[in-house]
Amino acid sequence: MTAFIIIACAGLTGTIFLRTALRFRAFHPKFGAGAYLKWLGIRIKGVFSKAFIDRSLKLWTAWLGERYPGWLKWIFFAFAAAFLYLAASGLFYAIFIRRGMFGLPLLAHVMGGGLFALGLAAVLMLRARTYRPDESGAAVSEMIACPVFKKASRAAVTKALFWIFATLGFVQVVTALCSMLPVFTFNTQVDLIMIHRYSALGLVLTAIVFFDIAILDRPQTPRG
Amino acid sequence: MRNRRFPARTAAAILAAGLAGAALAAASTDGKWAGSRSPAVHRIPLMDEFNQKIVPTEKNPYPFSTRFTCAPCHVYETIAGGRHFNASMKGAPAGRPGEPWIWLDERTGTQIPISERTWPGIFKPADLGLTAWNLTVLFGRHLPGGGSAEPAAKDETPESRWTVSGKAEINCLACHNASKLQDHSEWAMQMLRENFRWAATAAAGFGEVGGMASRLKATWDLADGPNPDDSEWAVVPTVKYDPALFDSKFAAFFDLAYPPKDRSCLACHANTPAGSRKFEFDDDVHTAAGIACASCHRNDITHDTIRGYEGEDKDNPKLASADFTCRACHIGEENRKGLGRAGRMGAPFPKHKGFPEVHFERLACTVCHSGPLPAAEPARVRTARANRLGIFGKADWSTELPVTVEPVYRRDTNGKLTPHRMMWPAYWGTLEQGLVKPLRPEVVQTAAGEILFPELAITRILAALGGLPGLEGQPVLVTDGRYYEANIDGGLTSFPAAGDPAAAGWFFASVKDGRIKPFWPDFDPANAEAAAEPETAMQPALEALAAMAGAPGAPAVIYKGYQYRLVDGALEKTEKKDAAAAGTAWLWLKDDTRLPMLSDLEREAVSSLTGTEKRLTESQVSRVLELLARQGSKNPVYISDGKLFRLDEKGRLEAANHPAAEPVAWPMAHQVRPARQALGWNGCTDCHSVSSNFFFSRVEAQGPLLTSKAASAAGVSFMKLNIPYHRLFGLSYLGRPYFKIVLGIAAFLIGAILLAALVQAVGRWSGLAEKRKSTP
Repeated sequence: MTAFIIIACAGLTGTIFLRTALRFRAFHPKFGAGAYLKWLGIRIKGVFSKAFIDRSLKLWTAWLGERYPGWLKWIFFAFAAAFLYLAASGLFYAIFIRRGMFGLPLLAHVMGGGLFALGLAAVLMLRARTYRPDESGAAVSEMIACPVFKKASRAAVTKALFWIFATLGFVQVVTALCSMLPVFTFNTQVDLIMIHRYSALGLVLTAIVFFDIAILDRPQTPRG
Repeated sequence: MRNRRFPARTAAAILAAGLAGAALAAASTDGKWAGSRSPAVHRIPLMDEFNQKIVPTEKNPYPFSTRFTCAPCHVYETIAGGRHFNASMKGAPAGRPGEPWIWLDERTGTQIPISERTWPGIFKPADLGLTAWNLTVLFGRHLPGGGSAEPAAKDETPESRWTVSGKAEINCLACHNASKLQDHSEWAMQMLRENFRWAATAAAGFGEVGGMASRLKATWDLADGPNPDDSEWAVVPTVKYDPALFDSKFAAFFDLAYPPKDRSCLACHANTPAGSRKFEFDDDVHTAAGIACASCHRNDITHDTIRGYEGEDKDNPKLASADFTCRACHIGEENRKGLGRAGRMGAPFPKHKGFPEVHFERLACTVCHSGPLPAAEPARVRTARANRLGIFGKADWSTELPVTVEPVYRRDTNGKLTPHRMMWPAYWGTLEQGLVKPLRPEVVQTAAGEILFPELAITRILAALGGLPGLEGQPVLVTDGRYYEANIDGGLTSFPAAGDPAAAGWFFASVKDGRIKPFWPDFDPANAEAAAEPETAMQPALEALAAMAGAPGAPAVIYKGYQYRLVDGALEKTEKKDAAAAGTAWLWLKDDTRLPMLSDLEREAVSSLTGTEKRLTESQVSRVLELLARQGSKNPVYISDGKLFRLDEKGRLEAANHPAAEPVAWPMAHQVRPARQALGWNGCTDCHSVSSNFFFSRVEAQGPLLTSKAASAAGVSFMKLNIPYHRLFGLSYLGRPYFKIVLGIAAFLIGAILLAALVQAVGRWSGLAEKRKSTP
């Protein structure tokens, strides 16, 4: 459990640092720690401003409107809400509560899991075609840049993130379901929970990167 | 009379003990095992408490002493520190709570849990003024000797009679004698006769022990020998050894069991469902599999017996107890995921399919595997020590009280939910600064007098009426549709009064073959001619009552408006206009005052309590509290049934919650059920449902008081869990099968789409897709 806490904290901190650092570098070619921190402070402060909220809502509305028109947006809302609760409750209890999750939060987590599973299935049915693995634009985004996939196109990375998210979501659903079945032995149950835990962490990190690349760093032309 | 050779023997004993001690110090007596696996045949001389060899053919030989008979090879002092023997010693190590001794006094409705071990809610003997002598007299029946039964000289108190009774040394044979002659009942009987030093000899079957130390004068000494002047009452205990057990050198053969046989353990540690029939009772699954008690509950020469609970190794690091828990045998080495060795002796490995990990973090194994399955109410259980089981004889030694119930799930000291046995203390006391200080039963009895003996007034009258000339059958009291006849124990036995018209009121009559016959037939007292014969029958009854010892007045009967009494040996008949025109009233006349022969309190107590395990009514408690207060007890209270009872300002009995009334509980582990009968075998809903007995059984406090105010709580409240949450959680299991189906469908859809995407990606990256497109 200690290992998971360390990995989770490192993973979350590293991802957030990497994403913000890349974003900072995109506008400030000369990277400096002081400047970065100052920029980060300004951005965090800006998050609470009315202008930011208005801008965010506008962005969300546009993004959702393009992808989930009409009543379909409610499917996405439910899916996103379930995912946010699952991620928040799961990580909070895993990192801060030694006993792990229990009581009403656990009950809500289980219920949220059902909603997430249905939501993920629906999102895949609605959007899988858009993210199908085929030729994509070759534009390389500065914000994607990382040592491994330096030349990956933004579209390819977005698609890859989408399918990674879907795969990890599938693992989440399957491990949760298997844990409820009187089939697996105690040791397997323990392994299933560990898989559930680590895949959940992967899911959260994937979602963060996807959110940053596919939504915040959206090119002017839609369909990214 | 035996010669007075005590000083010489004492000197010899001291010398011998010294020599033996020196020899033992030099020999290998540290309990190390040389490696032999064949048991030593014990054909050894019996030694008495003066370390003199016992010659069975000698006149009036002494009882044998384990201290000196076993000592040459086994260090008595080392063994004396063992768990069975330090239980009644001051400062005994505690460990997790276990079953306490229960000081039961049925007459006063007292049941106080006692132990020298520091456990929550348990009284220390010293708190109640109990000395080593008291403890031995009270609990000697199930003590294995040693400890309080063999106190050091400094612990001998003035009221004790150790010089007469002798001390009950550790009775090694209580556990290790494999002979079928080993008789726990004999031990109990000898201990109750205060024949402490003789008890082991009698129980082992080495000889017959007669006499009763409890009847001897306090000045009697072993060296005094038998009293030739009294062979009827104060008979000195003596041993008559069975010569067939000895060889020509007076060495006796000990048929020993190492480790002890189960039957030895069960003499004191048995527990059985109350009211069950013997042939219905199933053994623990381990016993059925041939595993003995001592297979797990082991000890070395220190006799520090392993209890087998998780965490015991922390309580007692000297013990290898971690090797003998449920987990140690059934799980084996942890964190090896099948790569480790199986558990001890390769005990069956539980797969626990479908059980979330939290169950193993928060629950002891025994929650699912031990004791009776949870029912709407916890089951009543009788234990050997609390209910005096395993003592056989013409009389029934067992007691219904105290009532112990199981399983009640509570947190163990390690925080895990564990099934417990539970009993509720009951005692009289005084409330001082919020704390209840118990009163000893004899203090209460003195204050209460006959209030605690409601049947006494009736049995005295029945005894007097029993001498009526020409009486057919037994005299009985008829009331509330039942009749009550005196029994051999000085109490009353009740039977339904079938066909009797008198459902209300009460009267005395005779009963033969179950048919109630009034002492006189129904008649009209106003009709002198018709009344003559019945009145003649009435006179002997009044004469018998007048002759009764301790009669509070002159007996009289009021019958249909006429009073009958004896005046100068003749029956006087007077019309009483203030008397009821119907029915019979039995009275005592004292200074022209009419007192009913039975008070309402007595009649109500007898009517409500006879034939039940209850010992007191609320009216009795009120009255005793009044008397205690009148006699100087400050804020007298009675604790029973999970409540504190006291009189309010208007003198009415009120029940209140108080920590002193809280139940006492100790974890239980047996009987272990087979895995197929474990909780959860049939799925999660064995426990997780809206009305599961596991969470929502009703735990009603049980005590000696007949009351409707007894404490009651849901089982889940003892778990320190949230009741509404567990109702909700249980409710969620109604939809869980459908939830799994939904998850399954979702997983299938997601999986199918992922598979399709994977096929497409593989096709694209391998070039197969392009090739297919370009193929004409």
